[in-house]
Amino acid sequence: MTAPWPANAAVLRRLIWGIPLLVLVVAIFAGVLRDGARSAAVLRADPEAILGDPRLRPTALAAGRTVYDGQCAACHGTAGKGDRTLGAPDLTDKDHLYGDGTVSQIEDIARYGIRAGNRRGWNLAVMPAYASRVPDKTEALPPLTPAQVDTLVRFLHSITARVSDPAAVRAGRDAYLKAGCWDCHGRDMGGDPAIGAPSLTDDVWLYGGRPDDIRRSIERGRAGVSPAFVRTLTAAELRAVAVYVASLAPSRTDHK
Amino acid sequence: MTEQTSPSPTPPDAIWNIRQPVGRRSLLLAAIGASLGLGIAGYGLFTAQGTRTASVPAEDAALVNNVPLLRADMIAQVRALYTVPYAQATRAQKQRVLDDMIREELYVQRGVEMGLTNDDIDVRQALVQATEGQIAQDATTAKPAEDELQHWYGTHRAKYASEGIMTLHEWLVPRGTDAASAVAALRRGASPGSLHLRTTGRVDDGEEFYFAAEEHLGKPIFTVAQRLPNGAVSDPIPATDGIHILQMIRNIPPVATPYSQARDQVLRDFLADKVARLQEGNKRFLKKRADIKIAADLQ
Repeated sequence: MTAPWPANAAVLRRLIWGIPLLVLVVAIFAGVLRDGARSAAVLRADPEAILGDPRLRPTALAAGRTVYDGQCAACHGTAGKGDRTLGAPDLTDKDHLYGDGTVSQIEDIARYGIRAGNRRGWNLAVMPAYASRVPDKTEALPPLTPAQVDTLVRFLHSITARVSDPAAVRAGRDAYLKAGCWDCHGRDMGGDPAIGAPSLTDDVWLYGGRPDDIRRSIERGRAGVSPAFVRTLTAAELRAVAVYVASLAPSRTDHK
Repeated sequence: MTEQTSPSPTPPDAIWNIRQPVGRRSLLLAAIGASLGLGIAGYGLFTAQGTRTASVPAEDAALVNNVPLLRADMIAQVRALYTVPYAQATRAQKQRVLDDMIREELYVQRGVEMGLTNDDIDVRQALVQATEGQIAQDATTAKPAEDELQHWYGTHRAKYASEGIMTLHEWLVPRGTDAASAVAALRRGASPGSLHLRTTGRVDDGEEFYFAAEEHLGKPIFTVAQRLPNGAVSDPIPATDGIHILQMIRNIPPVATPYSQARDQVLRDFLADKVARLQEGNKRFLKKRADIKIAADLQ
């Protein structure tokens, strides 16, 4: 015997509301599970392979962009172009101050920071302030005289700006070696990515490459800071933002 | 005699009628609620940071007594040890690094059990530094607002000025010579040689930064030098080794650096000050909550 029509109508009404609600709840639950699974897959994957994996790349980039906007854009800019007034590097070029720009290295920097108080961060060197009584608190370095600073400024500017000044180069190379600049920047002036000492042979500048900027770097020193997010961000967020930042630089074919 | 009435049977579809109380529905809803609660609690228990026990979380390479070893740290160590990309490392290489990390964690845990945190001077020092570092770390993750930085710059403007530069001569007046006459002659343009003045040799290297000149001349004479304009000759300055006269060639006082050019240094100093204040506050807090008893003779 069939139920009277009004009772059926009530059940139907309930089903009309109930089924979509159930579908929504299941969809949300499935979405959460799927995101969790994708996030876990990004974490378990080889960091350097994520950008080349069409399954993981979109997940990592989407999550990374959100983290970047919240934590990194304030200094590095929304487009990742950096900020010379803070010494925040341009993340969209091929030049890497620390390491060689792999995802795992970027993740390490995001996690432990640069001069941010974490003992596992990149804390090895600072640019000494040579126009001060004690140029470097951790290493006994003699200050420079104004003439020595002038010589170095002319030398570095002539090299990086491709200005032909043989006299400046001759005197400058001598001053460069005597002042001990080579200890961090190398005898070939190519820099040392292990300690964040920039190359002095190209025209990529963290704080600007005009003679006044170079003079200020030599005289007053530089020691930029990148925060350590180990207690602020989750492992998934750190990985995602590292992938996102790596994606801003020109694509790499060789990660040697 | 009363007639016993049996409860009227619940209609089969009454469970769906929210206006009609049904015991079966109450039980069912309670069961669903309890299952959901248990599910959420279980999920939290087995996946929340620090309490994961069911499996190794995705970000970790291993759990040692429930202490996670980060996969990212393992990748960094593989790269550092074998100087190859992680993908190119062999299984044996990865295994070796993981074994080393597990060994280290086991020894750390054992060291804590044995109380090395109290006994070993290096461990103690590392803990102090790490605790101080933690405060610095927390302070640097929040970027200060621009107006905070500008206010800092405004109140510490002198700190961001360039270092002054001076080029000068320092003459020593021979015994028996009238210092005032020598000064007057120098001011008229007489050569120091004609007055038999000798250099002290302390500032003969040409241009000097202020701090270097102060170091060479000593604070009292440097204070006189700092006030001399280009080409000026000082009054006689009595010193332990005789009378000195300063002849300023060029004096470039410190020049204020615009905020835009000093911004990186302002940020650095602002954060350093914030860290110092937080560390001081932390020290006070720790002392306040600690039970410190000091021997009577040391109080």
